[in-house]
Amino acid sequence: MAELQELTQVIIKGNRAEAKRLTQAAIDAQVPARQVLDALVAGMDEVGRRFQRNEVFVPEMLIASRAMKEAMALLEPMLVKAGIKPEYIAVIGAVQGDLHDIGKNLVAMMWRGANFQVVDLGTNVPAEKFIAAVKEHRAQVVGLSSLLTTTMPAMQATVKAIKDAGLGSLKVVVGGAPITQDFAKEIGADGFSPDAAGAVDLVRKLLAA
Amino acid sequence: MTTQGSLTGRERVNRMFARQDQDRIPRHESFWPETITRWQEEGLSGEQSDVLDLLESDFGQVTWMWPSPFRGQGRTIQQDASTRVVRDEHGKLARYWKNKSGTPEHLGFDCDSREKWEQVYKPALLNTGLQVDVHAAKRAFRRARELGQWAYVAGVESFEQTRTMMGDEITLMGMMEYPEWIRDVSVTCTDVMLRNLDAIVAEGVHFDGLWTYGDMAYNHATMCSPATYRELIWPDHKRLAMWAHAHNMKFIYHTDGDINGVMDLYVEAGFDCIQPLEAKANMDIRTLCPKYGQQLAMFGNCNVMKYATNDRAVIEEEIRAKLEAGKKTRGYAYHSDHSVPPQVSWETYQFIIDLVKRYGKY
Ligand code: B12
Repeated sequence: MAELQELTQVIIKGNRAEAKRLTQAAIDAQVPARQVLDALVAGMDEVGRRFQRNEVFVPEMLIASRAMKEAMALLEPMLVKAGIKPEYIAVIGAVQGDLHDIGKNLVAMMWRGANFQVVDLGTNVPAEKFIAAVKEHRAQVVGLSSLLTTTMPAMQATVKAIKDAGLGSLKVVVGGAPITQDFAKEIGADGFSPDAAGAVDLVRKLLAA
Repeated sequence: MTTQGSLTGRERVNRMFARQDQDRIPRHESFWPETITRWQEEGLSGEQSDVLDLLESDFGQVTWMWPSPFRGQGRTIQQDASTRVVRDEHGKLARYWKNKSGTPEHLGFDCDSREKWEQVYKPALLNTGLQVDVHAAKRAFRRARELGQWAYVAGVESFEQTRTMMGDEITLMGMMEYPEWIRDVSVTCTDVMLRNLDAIVAEGVHFDGLWTYGDMAYNHATMCSPATYRELIWPDHKRLAMWAHAHNMKFIYHTDGDINGVMDLYVEAGFDCIQPLEAKANMDIRTLCPKYGQQLAMFGNCNVMKYATNDRAVIEEEIRAKLEAGKKTRGYAYHSDHSVPPQVSWETYQFIIDLVKRYGKY
């Protein structure tokens, strides 16, 4: 449908006024909520890929994500009515001692853009808070961010505390500037992604398995 | 001290900028405060300045400038029985506990709209008067001259100032949605900076260089696109570089992150030197020097992630390789690729000083 393709395009451009207008028009025209959702998700997905290739940068990601969020607010009641739930429930935060949040926010945005429910605990988050939030929201995945070599030990301790808490099949994924695949493996995390778009693929892969 | 060998620090750095022969590469370093504390526990007697003396740093800071709209006027704007909300001098809002210590909760930024910028923050910035202690600068300048150091004024440039005042999200989204607004903030911050610089010079402090700080990149790229940077911030960076040149000074630009995409713009704006060239963000003087080494002096690039291993062989190879690459252009000064973190032991850092001295000879 041409309108839905256009909706995808305006999300990519981060045009929130148009995103809301087209979403409302689709709702009014009784386009199935699933199709509207797919068009929005396709937009964020494309922005993530372009970001990965350095074709767009943080500002473009931020405005695309806000356009998506505002369109989703309109669509929300239709999704509920149609019984469409978020794909996964995720908790995210920067580990204790770390105040960097730009990268973590982008990951949260990409996850929301992929129709995950995201509980963002902010920065400087102690392990207990991660565990409590996972229990409260019945999360399937938890994301830990660390930007400092000095908070990498806190990341390690948090992964251990979460694993020791015995939270069933919960997956722990990690990221941040100094984090590598090797480090992730070493501290017992289930996955690592160097960037926000990859964080979506990572969770899908881990949870589909 | 700095007059070691045949050249003073000042002569050495000036010769580096001119790509003339030097006895050794110039040196400087930055540290996390926690690093110095650790080293004091491990036997360092003295402060950061003493470590810089051991390194025989060639650089002397005259003053530090971070213009703010409410200078010295952080204040409580709201409170209840156990907490208070404070707006700091830049406009950042945080909640503090009254009866216990602990990390304050970051709440946001007071300057969150164009109206607020125009009605409150812009007039405040323009009306706060001088933001430097000119007399202290004069004293520091005299001392730097006595020590034969290359004297510089350090300051935060407009992109960093904007983010400090309005936060990353408002700033970065504003670049897309209200570019004229962000441009206005950048121009205003730069005007204020230049006014302060003029005041310092008017007092007879003819320092050698302007070293501006503004982190515009991260591990994978610049925060905004090179095109956005060119349009909104670069003209002010160019203004700062031109001001420096008009006063017979050099212009050093500090940024973290991967700046490969904007190096040509730096050259075009007339920057003289880039620091600290973060290795883990794909910056490598082995490829940068051959390409940009004539136009831009390179300052730094020794990988602190390698220092943090405390593995002597790893560290020696890093310093040897980087210094060798830098020396080929004669336009290179030693610095780590940001600041030395507290994982590095005092013993290791003393070894690093030895290596820098050994491999830094011409
Ligand atoms: C901006 C910045 C700051 C800002 C932060 C503002 C904010 N609101 O976040 C401020 C000024 C506050 C700051 C403070 C400090 N910083 Co700082 N900062 C940076 C800088 C320049 C950019 C970070 C950033 O925003 N990147 C942009 C985002 C998009 O990238 P990202 O965070 O890497 O995230 C991506 C991926 O890593 C990944 N990802 C991130 N999180 C997660 C999580 C999951 C689950 C997954 C899957 C993926 C993932 O996806 C993201 C998007 O693609 C970096 C330099 C760098 N190379 O990263 C230094 C840097 C991280 N900081 C550093 C330092 C030293 C500090 C300070 C200690 C001192 C200082 N400079 O003031 C303090 C510490 C404060 C604290 N306790 O946390 C050092 C750390 C060095 C080290 N040895 O660890 C760095 C590397 C600078 C350097 N060159 O050395 N900093």
